[in-house]
Amino acid sequence: MSALEIRGVRKSYGSVETLKGIDIALQDGEFLVLLGSSGCGKSTLLNIIAGLAEATSGDVLIGGRSILGVHPKNRDIAMVFQSYALYPNLTVRRNIGFGLEMRGVAADEREKAVNEAARLLQIEALLDRKPSQLSGGQRQRVAIGRALVRKPQVFLFDEPLSNLDAKLRLEMRTELKRLHQMLQTTVVYVTHDQIEAMTLASRIAVMRDGRIEQLGTPEEIYNHPATLYVAGFVGAPSMNMLQAKVEGATLAIEGSDARLPLPARFRKMVGEGARVVVGIRPEALRVAADATVPSLPVEIEVVELTGPELVTSARIGAQRLTACLPPGSRVSKGQAGIFTFSEDAVRLFDPDTGKAFAS
Amino acid sequence: MSGTWMTTRAWLLMLPLLVVMVAVIGWPLVDTVNLSFTDAKLVGTGGNYVGFDNYTNMLSSSNFSRTLVTTTLFAVISVAAEMVIGVLAALLLNQQFHGRAVLRALMILPWALPTVVNATLWRLIYNPEYGALNAALTQLHLIDDYRSWLGEPGTALAALIVADCWKNFPLVALIALAALQAVPRDITAASLVDGAGAFNRFRFVILPYLAGPLMVALVLRTIEAFKVFDIIWVMTRGGPANSTRSLSILVYQEAFSFQRAGSGASLALIVTLLVTILAVAYAALVRKTAGSAT
Repeated sequence: MSALEIRGVRKSYGSVETLKGIDIALQDGEFLVLLGSSGCGKSTLLNIIAGLAEATSGDVLIGGRSILGVHPKNRDIAMVFQSYALYPNLTVRRNIGFGLEMRGVAADEREKAVNEAARLLQIEALLDRKPSQLSGGQRQRVAIGRALVRKPQVFLFDEPLSNLDAKLRLEMRTELKRLHQMLQTTVVYVTHDQIEAMTLASRIAVMRDGRIEQLGTPEEIYNHPATLYVAGFVGAPSMNMLQAKVEGATLAIEGSDARLPLPARFRKMVGEGARVVVGIRPEALRVAADATVPSLPVEIEVVELTGPELVTSARIGAQRLTACLPPGSRVSKGQAGIFTFSEDAVRLFDPDTGKAFAS
Repeated sequence: MSGTWMTTRAWLLMLPLLVVMVAVIGWPLVDTVNLSFTDAKLVGTGGNYVGFDNYTNMLSSSNFSRTLVTTTLFAVISVAAEMVIGVLAALLLNQQFHGRAVLRALMILPWALPTVVNATLWRLIYNPEYGALNAALTQLHLIDDYRSWLGEPGTALAALIVADCWKNFPLVALIALAALQAVPRDITAASLVDGAGAFNRFRFVILPYLAGPLMVALVLRTIEAFKVFDIIWVMTRGGPANSTRSLSILVYQEAFSFQRAGSGASLALIVTLLVTILAVAYAALVRKTAGSAT
């Protein structure tokens, strides 16, 4: 039995359909990240799970029990919000214990649970402060504590790290990962940050226009994107997309004389003369000393040292591509160069449907 | 630009306003203070200096103490009722339903009407011969005979309070409604997930956001209610048997009906002092509330 099951959920606001049939089943202890750009419907889906919005059709089950129409407090969920949503007039102690207080849990039991959550989140010293006396990171810890203390069947996180600065976001991300590994509770986490998605998730659902574009493990999403959208959305810098044409056993890069060998695994999937999009991750590219196979002759345009890597923007004919090279790579602005890569790194997409040719 | 020049320029710019303020408030105030130490009549010569006699006579008179109690009762009950009804109306108008915009606009009507119109309207409702209240209560068999609501000392003040609430609750409702719309949606959602019922949601989530704006409404309304004159004057003229006489009406009667300008001036200053004490106390309270909210 799934810990959380979403069956054919649709949501319309008047004539606008924001969710167009979502199906996901989560096993106990899974960490699902709903990833997508603004307006893709990820927060709406989370609100439907929480009971803060009603689905137009479909069903949501927690522990095998349908929860549609059930009040949020009776859904056995806890939620952490982007804005922290702490009660400004209550102390940290009462904020964390609020859910238990509302459920009539005895004061001593409540106190014990609050202290335990505070210890886990290292905020014991803050228990008697008001939210206004806390930093952003501390507030988010309190918000997480308020969810933890309830020991729900499913945790819901709505972009919880978006309001934090980069350093704090990194710390809290690690903290969340640590907590999930320790507690092994089922989590649904909404974000538009692909790094958060990749690092935290056991599975990612990439959403677009109210649909799930791809549902898979971070490794599957990153290495085997199902569509051009997923390939472009996940990864920074995003995957290089080169327009090409199948000519015999080669891929002729449009607007240049460059030809790549067509990997054997795709030969039965694409016909002679077919137009395809060749996808290669920037970090799969390396500088070649000479024209080894496969290779892409490029003209280097911009070289940026980010610290751990050299982000190089280059041109191949009329098309652009980016490479993330080791810092010592011999590339310089305005010079010609040759990039090489492993054939395994090549992905092919149908430019008309946007779908990947399964390899 | 030097600080001295900035200060001088600021004072120069404020000067016209200060001159007007001194002319229309400062001078009459000084004149009233002077008058309050004399036995001057409304007409005739300036009167003789009597020291604090006007004050001691007024403060020791039963008229004053009785009127102070009546005014306090009127202010406390009507403002409390306005606060409760105003907040309830705001909570209702904050819900999503068809016709909400129309209802919000209609609600402003009693407050937008001139007090004299409102008072006349309520006089008609309370009319002992053809008033709507008597008709409704008799038809509901709650009373046997028509009553003179404004003519009986036992009911006149309550009837006035109802009329005053009707006029002023929309102001509180508007202020509360604006505050309600500032309550973050996430906090309300969090309280729902946390299992807070309607009462606890109001107490722990909504009230903290309402407290500041409501405090301002409370200050304004209490001061207004303490100075009440027009609605009472139109509906009962302070009667029957002075049972609805407010301090402002007592000042009017003393200065104009009985033409005792000196005594009236002393009473007016006592009322001003009481209202100032209220205003200062509330201002301190507002500062304290604002301080604890940050």
